[in-house]
Amino acid sequence: MENLVTANIRSRPTRTFISILAVALGVILMLVVGGIVSGTLDDYLGRTMALGSDFILQPGGSSIFYAFSDASLNQKLTGVIEGLPGVAAVTPVLSKFHAKGFGLVFGIDMESYNKFPGRLEILEGTPSLEGDEVIVDQAYADAQKLKPGMTINVLNHDFTVTAICRPGAVVRVFIPLETMKMLNGTPDKVTIMFIKAEPKADLDTVYQTLADKFPGNSILRASDPNLLLAETRLPGLNEFRMLVVLVSMLLSFMVILLAMYTTIFERTREIGILKSLGASRRFIVGMIIQESAMICGLGALLGIAVSEVIRFVIIARFPTLQVSMTAEDLLRGLVLGLLAGTFGALYPAYKAAKMDPVKALSYE
Amino acid sequence: MGEMKDESSVANAIETINLEMTYRSGRVDVPAVQGLNLTVRQGEFIAIMGPSGCGKSTLLHLLGGLLQPTGGSILIDGIDISRLSDSERTTVRRKKISYVFQRFNLFPTLTAKGNIELAKKIHGNGAQNSNGIAPIFEMLGLGGKFNFRPSELSGGEQQRVAIARAVINRPSIILADEPTGSLDSRNSHTVLRMLRDLNEKLGQTIVMITHDSEAASTASRVIEMKDGRILTPTSRYSYEPEFERLY
Repeated sequence: MENLVTANIRSRPTRTFISILAVALGVILMLVVGGIVSGTLDDYLGRTMALGSDFILQPGGSSIFYAFSDASLNQKLTGVIEGLPGVAAVTPVLSKFHAKGFGLVFGIDMESYNKFPGRLEILEGTPSLEGDEVIVDQAYADAQKLKPGMTINVLNHDFTVTAICRPGAVVRVFIPLETMKMLNGTPDKVTIMFIKAEPKADLDTVYQTLADKFPGNSILRASDPNLLLAETRLPGLNEFRMLVVLVSMLLSFMVILLAMYTTIFERTREIGILKSLGASRRFIVGMIIQESAMICGLGALLGIAVSEVIRFVIIARFPTLQVSMTAEDLLRGLVLGLLAGTFGALYPAYKAAKMDPVKALSYE
Repeated sequence: MGEMKDESSVANAIETINLEMTYRSGRVDVPAVQGLNLTVRQGEFIAIMGPSGCGKSTLLHLLGGLLQPTGGSILIDGIDISRLSDSERTTVRRKKISYVFQRFNLFPTLTAKGNIELAKKIHGNGAQNSNGIAPIFEMLGLGGKFNFRPSELSGGEQQRVAIARAVINRPSIILADEPTGSLDSRNSHTVLRMLRDLNEKLGQTIVMITHDSEAASTASRVIEMKDGRILTPTSRYSYEPEFERLY
């Protein structure tokens, strides 16, 4: 049976196409921006956990995005922490954001860093990190086409690549801690300290010992992803993600509202005919909602398909960037796209249902 | 007396009692229908004539439940639709009434068949099938035009599709608003013959508005309206409209 809804959609191909495109744009915005945020966060958390530390000591109010944190921990605390009961290893890190590579650079003491399970596992080159030497991970080396012996500029300073390590050691670029402190102008200060408890130590006891010893500082439990996420301070991240979802939904909502509102006026006479045929208000509302749902459904599917393409392109061109799009995210994009469009069609549908049939029939 | 009234109510497809319709234009009340009493028996074909602005179209909209009267009653198959809510009037219209318009009012995006299927869907009468459409198309001389869109049909053919749409759900009453007003004489004759056939062969009750006395002569009874009132109920054979005599 020929359907009035599909016939109406087909009869205005330009309007339909633009509406579908606008809804798709909203879904793309939601999925890609949300995906980059989630991907980056997941990547950070995953690589932080991959080091195998049990605790992370940070100045109070710091963020897991270490770049947001000041270098305000006294490096001398390393010795104090090492002496605490239940502590097996501690390594200080000074982190900086490297704008050129859009990522973090860790200044590390390789000897203590490598006491952790997720130490730098050298895949190529010499395991040396002193002076102006740098070690990068495989993903960074692939993205920048680096080989051991090559020179790269990091933080406005030239370094020689000595080795390429396995990805997953928290960040992708490592320089000597002493060099980083010099570049940062903070000779005694570091950003964070990774702490490993002794294998048989009770983690809660060690945590309490650290909390008592360093009041006012932040101690994250890095062994549990949920705890790490819960205790992580991500300034405005959730609000940002919510804002992206809201903006994309608003985009779909407004486009559908405008498109359907215009359609209602365009079809005033047809609504009058429907009423003269005995169509109930529910029938008319249903017809308009169906039309917008169909447009939004197509828009959301297009948005999902394009988002997947964008994800592949981003990953191919920028291997260090992570875009997370789970089946749940895609389903959310579809549902939110549909919901936004349906809500956008409600007012025009209400207007159509309330229309005076006699006036509608005489509409030119 | 009471029995007689009940019997006549059952036999009447339409009955209006002191029907009033007044529009409000700014601060002025404009009466369109004034104390109108009309009875149309089941299976009757009546034509309503009158000059522009005499209230014919308003009356047709009132009879179809598209307008709520400001006074009096309208009984459709014994149901007083003037006391019903908008949604209840819609239900009565869906079940008992069909319109045929001067400008056909087909959906331009749908085919001839699609237009009729839509009417079936709204009526809830076998939305998913095309039963009954083919015989009506044959009867109206539209065989083979199933999948034509209105823009691909002549005016006469469009009006015949509109008639097919009007009868597909077997309504009690067809309200035709100047059904030949946009047609040439040949197509007008065809459409009028079809309406007469529907009335004579199927016993379809038809109320038709027309300016054309020749079209009116197709009906079994002609009613003339002026200033929202009925002037002279007459027979089809003796009718000579007053407003035509004036010119």
